[in-house]
Amino acid sequence: MFKELDPILHSQLRLAVMSLLISVKEAEFTFLKEKTNSTAGNLSVQIQKLKEAGYIYIVKQFKDNYPQTTCKITLEGIKAFEKYVKDLQVYLGSGKK
Amino acid sequence: MIEENFSPEESLQLIQSMINKTKRGMSDNGIYFLVWGWLTFIACIGQFLLKHIYKYEKHYQVWWLIVVGIVFSIYFSIKEEKSRKVRTYISDSMKYLWIGMGITYFVLSMILTKIGWSSEVFPFFIMLYGLGTFVSGCIIQFRSLIVGGILAWALAIGSVYADYDYQILFGAAAILISYIIPAYLLRNKNKKANLNLQESNV
Repeated sequence: MFKELDPILHSQLRLAVMSLLISVKEAEFTFLKEKTNSTAGNLSVQIQKLKEAGYIYIVKQFKDNYPQTTCKITLEGIKAFEKYVKDLQVYLGSGKK
Repeated sequence: MIEENFSPEESLQLIQSMINKTKRGMSDNGIYFLVWGWLTFIACIGQFLLKHIYKYEKHYQVWWLIVVGIVFSIYFSIKEEKSRKVRTYISDSMKYLWIGMGITYFVLSMILTKIGWSSEVFPFFIMLYGLGTFVSGCIIQFRSLIVGGILAWALAIGSVYADYDYQILFGAAAILISYIIPAYLLRNKNKKANLNLQESNV
């Protein structure tokens, strides 16, 4: 059962990012970095993986002459996250029996 | 944060802690309630004094004070927009609710200017205060605002039985109960939440 968990989401930093994005409309890279206590390099790699999986959108733009990266969860991302939580509950439920 | 295999229990804890982090600090609308609360309260009291005590004909001129509130809101929201790192559904809902409320007050004032201000109109303004604060309280799950909204509705009904001059005082009471007091309570709550956040980050 444990092996069935979505490998894209079953990774600490990616799951942390998805958990933040599921509860907000959109968040800047700096917000995600601050809340997850991660390094910019690692976070960049992980959000890129989430983007490739189709779970998040990444918008890069300039705000007051500074580059700004904004992330937003996709519909597919929401579905994957909900499935992941359900799978976790099934796993934890079966462990208790 | 280190990449590693972790248990489903840890997964759930992680999800919960991240969702809690987004909850903190998102209900920081206290400053708008304070500024608008005091401005409209002063305007009500001012209008009552000018009309009832000093018998000044153009007592309604005191409502030009709201221009200060509009300028402040525009300035503060632009400043906030620049430093904002996250957009939540709650902050957006609050923003659109109060922009909508502002437009409603404006439209109502335009209509009344055309059809004539009378002693029957003030309860409608108080009723709208109630709507705004009740819905805000429900959105940010802050009980004092919800109670404030309900009390404002009660005051709206009560004001029907008072003369126009005293209806203005009913308005001031509604603003005190539904804006100003909840705004201070909200500010205290946010201060405590920020302190807890700082402690948990140590």
